[in-house]
Amino acid sequence: MSIFEYNGSALVAMVGKNCFAIASDRRLGVQLQTIATDFQRISKIHDKLFIGLSGLATDAQTLYQRLVFRHKLYQLREERDMKPETFASLVSAILYEKRFGPYFCQPVIAGLGDEDKPFICTMDAIGAKELAKDFVVAGTASESLYGACESMFKPDMEPEELFETISQALLSSVDRDCLSGWGGHVYVVTPTEVKERILKGRMD
Amino acid sequence: MKLDTTGLESFPTLLAPQSDVVGELSAAPSFDLPNSNDFDGFLKEAIQMVKPAKGTTTLAFIFKEGVIVAADSRASMGGYISSQSVKKIIEINPYMLGTMAGGAADCQFWHRNLGIKCRLHELANKRRISVTGASKLLANILYSYRGMGLSVGTMIAGWDETGPGLYYVDSEGGRLKGTRFSVGSGSPYAYGVLDSGYRYDLSIEEAAELARRAIYHATFRDGASGGVASVYYVGPNGWKKLSGDDVGELHYHYYPVTPSTVEQEMVEATGA
Amino acid sequence: MTKQHANWSPYDNNGGSCVAIAGADYCVIAADTRMSTGYNILTRDYSKISQLAEKCVMASSGFQADVKALQKVLSARHLIYQHQHNKQMSCPAMGQLLSNTLYYKRFFPYYAFNVLGGLDNEGKGCVFTYDAVGSYERVGYSSQGSGSTLIMPFLDNQLKSPSPLLLPAKDAVTPLSESEAVDLVKTVFASATERDIYTGDKVEIVILNASGIRREYMDLRKD
Repeated sequence: MSIFEYNGSALVAMVGKNCFAIASDRRLGVQLQTIATDFQRISKIHDKLFIGLSGLATDAQTLYQRLVFRHKLYQLREERDMKPETFASLVSAILYEKRFGPYFCQPVIAGLGDEDKPFICTMDAIGAKELAKDFVVAGTASESLYGACESMFKPDMEPEELFETISQALLSSVDRDCLSGWGGHVYVVTPTEVKERILKGRMD
Repeated sequence: MKLDTTGLESFPTLLAPQSDVVGELSAAPSFDLPNSNDFDGFLKEAIQMVKPAKGTTTLAFIFKEGVIVAADSRASMGGYISSQSVKKIIEINPYMLGTMAGGAADCQFWHRNLGIKCRLHELANKRRISVTGASKLLANILYSYRGMGLSVGTMIAGWDETGPGLYYVDSEGGRLKGTRFSVGSGSPYAYGVLDSGYRYDLSIEEAAELARRAIYHATFRDGASGGVASVYYVGPNGWKKLSGDDVGELHYHYYPVTPSTVEQEMVEATGA
Repeated sequence: MTKQHANWSPYDNNGGSCVAIAGADYCVIAADTRMSTGYNILTRDYSKISQLAEKCVMASSGFQADVKALQKVLSARHLIYQHQHNKQMSCPAMGQLLSNTLYYKRFFPYYAFNVLGGLDNEGKGCVFTYDAVGSYERVGYSSQGSGSTLIMPFLDNQLKSPSPLLLPAKDAVTPLSESEAVDLVKTVFASATERDIYTGDKVEIVILNASGIRREYMDLRKD
């Protein structure tokens, strides 16, 4: 079994009309054994920027702490928040630093950039950025998520419809994956507010 | 290269081999073997390619009123769930059940084969086969294929002339008589619940609830178990399915989500 | 024993996806027509669907040489059955035969992933889904092959029917009409084609109902 599949994860981000949504499952396991069902994979960098880290949980937490540290230094020096594009480059650079002994994480970055234009992106464990206009997925349920998102996604959805779509895609995908699920965590971000919701899911 | 399949034959050949037009196809079926120097290596690779369905929680126990048999219903190939509705409790005849853990095809095929053998025993001897006998038939077949990569972990549960019977049989040739078994990747979790709640003098309702809870807890902790928790009871009058509950709903039945109550709320200070 | 090349394998994977949906009085079986090996496309017009009996159709992906061999065995067995019983084999009977045929190659498996669709004796749609060594199950809908992991979650979402194992039992018939089911199949193949390199070119859809058998085709992406 790949080290990326050790803890199990499912991550997805989608673009809507002047908004975006990012969602993850809530399971932390050790191979097939479920350890926790309230695990946080998505973290807030600032009000309009979120990062989800799929893959090995220990690396995800370490990487997250380094990213927050670097973002705080940036805030102190520049007296402003980072743009999502800049942050994505930062993540990419930090990952590439460990080119020959990587963090076993596949990040998903979602944020609102200039003029609140939604930005989503993912990258591999060594920092190769992959920008998308519609949706990005990562984790052990990524194949299922690709299928579900490809069939359910529509461009320019309003926040409420976006929430419904991303939730349906997440829940139906994790129900076909042994290593992720046990509930869901969804953030819908608009220029004016962040809505965080916990999803009830199958607990098997 | 052909394998000896005497274990497969349902009845002895009474007639000389037929020489009809379709001889080749209507002859007793046999297992094709690869023409390879390294059988183990080949099989290992082949099995890795086809990834047969695996992952299970099954349990069975004897108590005062008879035998309870329960199982989940998930089949997984690697991390992917290939089915959420597998029938893991196989009805061999009206008085006997088998459970399925390990390779789905191996279990399905050999239980079907066992069903045939049990029926033939019944016709030849004018009485039903004992649980002891049936489990031994299966164990002997599996033993003859030992080392060839079959993967079966099964329990044969039933009611015969001696009362309730329960045997554990596996593809390594093991056959154990007992009163309490759990098999599959979720079995450690199921054993935890089963052992702490088991008494010999449970009522049928209590026993069924214990089995259901054990399966539910196993599906909760084990990634490769899930779906529907089925519970069967075997008594003097044969088996009966007592319940089949979707564990997705069972979880919220056992642990209802209560909307979090707000203990204190900020309000506009009045007066002062 | 003949000397064999050290890393030679008797198997290849030719990819492809299959879907089958059973309805109250119809059955839809579909598969794409691309056949590939590695990154190469061998042909864009290869049917993965074979009609085994009047009311029984099989769609198979995996290794096409094994699939062809399997289809030949099944049609030979079906011919014998017709001579011996003077009737067509029913779909559940063909389902059991396919299971056994696959299991008899347990130690040298057919590298074939099959779905069998058809109408049962009551005229209801039925779908049987298999693994490569013959474990099988009757279901309301199924998907097999390289794109199955992409297709299955969406089918679950759209068709989610109560499990047949539930007690008390709930009605598990697919709520879709025949034309809706065909549209759904077209949607899932269009989606799978976007992300699965082994699925594409064209989808062949076979529809079985009381009035007989009908075929439809829809073009998919060719890249």
